[in-house]
Amino acid sequence: MHLAVSLAQGEAPSGVQADAGLDFSLLARFVQKAEAAGLDMVLLADSAPVAGGDAWSRQVPFEATTLLAALATVTSRIGLVAAASTVAHQPYNLARRFASLDIISHGRAGWNATMVPDPREAANFSRPEGFSRDDFRRRAEEFIGIVQGLWRGWDADALLFDKSGGRFFDPEKMHLLDHKGEFFSVRGPLNVARSPQDTPVLVMSGLSEHDMEIAARFADVILLDEPLDAKADDLKRRALGFGRSPGEIKVLMNVAPGAETAAGPDVIADRLEEPFRSKSCDGFNILMPPVLSVLDDFVGLVLPELRRRGLLRSDYPGATLRSHLGLAGEEEQ
Amino acid sequence: MTAHRRQMKLGAFLWATGHHIAAWRHPQAHVKAGVDIDHYIRLARTAEAAKFDMLFCEDAAGVREADVNIASQTSRSIGFEPISLLAALAVQTSHIGLVSTASTSHNEPYGLARTFLSLDHLSGGRAGWNLVTSASHIEAANFGATGLRPHADRYERAREFAEIVTGLWHGKLDGASGSGHDGQCFSVRDPLDLPRSPQGAPVMVQAGASDVGRDLAARTADVVFTAAQTFEEAKAFYGDLKGRLAAYGRGPDDIKIMPGVAPVVAETESEAREKYEELQELIPDDVGVALLSSYLSISDLSRYPIDGPLPELPASEGMQSRQALVIEQSRRDNLSIRQLARHFAGARGHWRIVGTPAQIADELEARFEGGAADGFNVMPSYFPGELDAFAALVVPELQRRGLFRTEYEGRTSREHLGLKRPA
Repeated sequence: MHLAVSLAQGEAPSGVQADAGLDFSLLARFVQKAEAAGLDMVLLADSAPVAGGDAWSRQVPFEATTLLAALATVTSRIGLVAAASTVAHQPYNLARRFASLDIISHGRAGWNATMVPDPREAANFSRPEGFSRDDFRRRAEEFIGIVQGLWRGWDADALLFDKSGGRFFDPEKMHLLDHKGEFFSVRGPLNVARSPQDTPVLVMSGLSEHDMEIAARFADVILLDEPLDAKADDLKRRALGFGRSPGEIKVLMNVAPGAETAAGPDVIADRLEEPFRSKSCDGFNILMPPVLSVLDDFVGLVLPELRRRGLLRSDYPGATLRSHLGLAGEEEQ
Repeated sequence: MTAHRRQMKLGAFLWATGHHIAAWRHPQAHVKAGVDIDHYIRLARTAEAAKFDMLFCEDAAGVREADVNIASQTSRSIGFEPISLLAALAVQTSHIGLVSTASTSHNEPYGLARTFLSLDHLSGGRAGWNLVTSASHIEAANFGATGLRPHADRYERAREFAEIVTGLWHGKLDGASGSGHDGQCFSVRDPLDLPRSPQGAPVMVQAGASDVGRDLAARTADVVFTAAQTFEEAKAFYGDLKGRLAAYGRGPDDIKIMPGVAPVVAETESEAREKYEELQELIPDDVGVALLSSYLSISDLSRYPIDGPLPELPASEGMQSRQALVIEQSRRDNLSIRQLARHFAGARGHWRIVGTPAQIADELEARFEGGAADGFNVMPSYFPGELDAFAALVVPELQRRGLFRTEYEGRTSREHLGLKRPA
């Protein structure tokens, strides 16, 4: 079973103060604790622009990719996935940012591309007229394809570092993207080296029925809100159509165990075991506020129960996020 | 040491394996700099221990050389994206400023303002943005798009971009109205969703040296980087820019002018010369000529005899100030293409000094005291060795003379630089 924890803001259970706030060191302790517990990855939300004066005060006040970079230097195993919007960035810049984050984290970075447009976002990015739902989807599909294409612009063995021969890289192993599409034209190549885990992990979330095709084609990890067997099967079948094996996509179900912690670890473990055993999902994305006590309860009570039932590995199998997720090539697994 | 002596500001300009084009081939250069975060953490800590004002990162949103064969003989086609690099360094350091270049040509102001403010919070008020415009076709080819607003002149776009970013940072998006921005190049509706900067606003840095670039700097910059070969050039630039400030209601101390300097330092002059020559020997001719061609914004300098003079050149839309500087030097010193290529390949048009710690301190002091600089952006030839050497040899010499701090003045970049906190 794969487990991620997602920093959900403003959702602290009643009576619990969301304490991360402005303080990076508290966030760092939170993620270090998740790492000590052996979780696959932490998902960092990117706070959306919210109208009104004090909206920021209940959010983590860091843009997600910069936060990821900082967290990468104070952790060593756990995967770090940042949300970043296809409206707020250009594909070249975003591909570059994540490729760089992946090297900084030694192969532990991922991009969460949400397919839900934020209605306020376009207005802050010189598109006051916004995007139609269909334009947004086609644009996002093109965007994601460009980003993944740029990530593959350098072969894994392209860098020679040959001082005496005077060849830094092998020109044959650098590839232009030369993409010309409906919304973007991007030549490439990326000016960041190939990822230590081949490419950063692509997480997709907020999928509508129409987005399934895109997800089956591009995603490494898909976050779903409901445990629908049919949906997971459908995704994996579609993946086959794109020449991918069903195991190349991990489906995680979003769960918010907050209120149920009181119900006891057995109840929560039961709730996670059932859909996992029935193969509705490959694991779970636990939504919780960045509050140490909430994480403590989950890690201290629920994880031992899952391990006792043989549902959860006890340590990281490798160094990269892909290896935690069982997505790495053979040499890394 | 005089208690109240004016002191110089120093930046540590990080760039891949080093500022010398052949740095990566030097036996002591760390050849894997572009994929090794620990190397950068070490550099940052070295610079911080030496009390540098800031780390400075250059940037381009594309590879730097169109010809893949030339590119493959340099280390500059890969490296870290600077904002993610500085965010990582922010939590591994405690005092040093963190400045990154980002182009107004290939970003949107809301996103960039937000990212730099996030870096500022992560670092406790140590972030800075070096505003540049992009003239590179290589970069432009990565940002082809349809459905965007009309692309105004790149300096008009930069001016509007800077106005929005500073407006967002200062919590006043559009002058008195506070109701968003709807301009020629950009529209922005909301304030930023992050709290105000710990230093009031991230530091604004600029490097443009053209007339329109100087006006933009006089209006918006806290720090200006510049390239100047001679004392006279540096002094003229310094006087001109400081003279433009009054028109924008600013005083001469509101901007710190920090020209680039590429030092090669060793205990003795002959050792320093030897070190410099060793680097020059490592430059392949085709790489040097290609680099020179790019500074001159012409594509085919290689068809002229390498030991002959620079040909007459047509006017160009590219980097005009750099072009003028190269041409002027070639005529003044009667240099062949090969000599000129090697000369500029080494320091990229910046001021090069080779010598002992005392000689280098003398030169820096002369420009600092002579009204040509408020400080310097130090461009080590290769990393980590030349940054280590500058920190170990030159900084103590400057400190002995009372020309450089021995302890940070505070915690934020504005405090080190002696800049006012914006209201």
